[in-house]
Amino acid sequence: MSDQNFRLSTMTPKYRAGPKDDLIWHELDSMTLLFHRPSGNTHMLADPAPALLEVMDSGLLTAAEIATRLKARFDVESGADTDDIISARLEELAALGLIAREAG
Amino acid sequence: MAEMHQIRLQIGPAAFRIASAWRQPLDQLAALYRDYPGPSDHMVDFTVRLEPDKPWRRYIRPSVHIGGDFWLPDAAPLPLAQGLLAAEMGMNLQMALGWRRHLLLHASSVEKDGRALIMTGLSGSGKSTLSAMLAQKGWRFMGDEFALLDLDTGDIAPFPRLISLKNQAIRAMQTVAPADRFGPEMTDTPKGDIRHLVPPKAAIDRMGEPARPALLLFPRFGHDPELRDMGQAEIFVRLTQASTNYVALGEAGFRALTRFVDQVPTRAMDYQSIEQAEELIERLWSRSP
Repeated sequence: MSDQNFRLSTMTPKYRAGPKDDLIWHELDSMTLLFHRPSGNTHMLADPAPALLEVMDSGLLTAAEIATRLKARFDVESGADTDDIISARLEELAALGLIAREAG
Repeated sequence: MAEMHQIRLQIGPAAFRIASAWRQPLDQLAALYRDYPGPSDHMVDFTVRLEPDKPWRRYIRPSVHIGGDFWLPDAAPLPLAQGLLAAEMGMNLQMALGWRRHLLLHASSVEKDGRALIMTGLSGSGKSTLSAMLAQKGWRFMGDEFALLDLDTGDIAPFPRLISLKNQAIRAMQTVAPADRFGPEMTDTPKGDIRHLVPPKAAIDRMGEPARPALLLFPRFGHDPELRDMGQAEIFVRLTQASTNYVALGEAGFRALTRFVDQVPTRAMDYQSIEQAEELIERLWSRSP
């Protein structure tokens, strides 16, 4: 592996959802509530964060792979902004403990 | 240890033992709770203790420290003349910090035709006064402090403790409630002037009867009269803030509260007088399913 490839792979984090049973979903009119059983915390999420969780599973995925799944399932505008937004939301979900993040 | 006097009280589903170093607050409690049954057995859910702040203060400028199963370390002691207030605050504290059988909402509630109107809001919103006033006008009083949301059925259980009237509300209620239902007036307490009002006898006799929640209001006193729709997200967040045990109940609390938000029509209500509020409430109630 060249130095450049090595750097790239370590800079691309991957994300993985926890067990489906960990979360109880409840739709409100404008937001999605998630009760996280392991922590006992209630989270209130705005789009597109709930959609990200929906397309994720126990497999490790990069933000780009998650974006591809999202675009296949939902009506998402393509563009550089979209990928940045998805990356930012994934980082937030990881910080909340709703998904796991692993360095690539 | 010095001798403690005690009294047992049943209020809705909760049984209390109030133990006090002095007789006076317990005599006042016994008089005000004269219509309430005692606990059916000798088991109580909570104990509240009214004790001298320092041993010598049992006699010299007596000062009441509130203790019990659950307590706040920084609760300031009250003068003995406010011992009744200390007992009521102690009972509220036990419920707020210790009750687990219902989701507790800091709210007042009244009932008509088996359906409950729940009013929640910050201190000063008028929720307590409105419930006391409606109780004089054909509604059954269910509580002015906590609405108890049943985790399984979604019903509201009554908790009709003494109504704690503050400042101007004392005068307003004296015009409509019988004089023999009022406790002693306590002036210059940490909460202002306080006078307790015994709920109507029918409310006490029926304190074991729950009611289906039919309308939730967020009253706000001092603004032009108006009813406003609220988004579910705002309602949910404000109810978690109004609940003292939402976090402690975990998944059961989440399921009970989400069902409540889904099922109960909700409005924000601004008003400037009790009469305005009554009119708005009656208008909403006549249209509620």
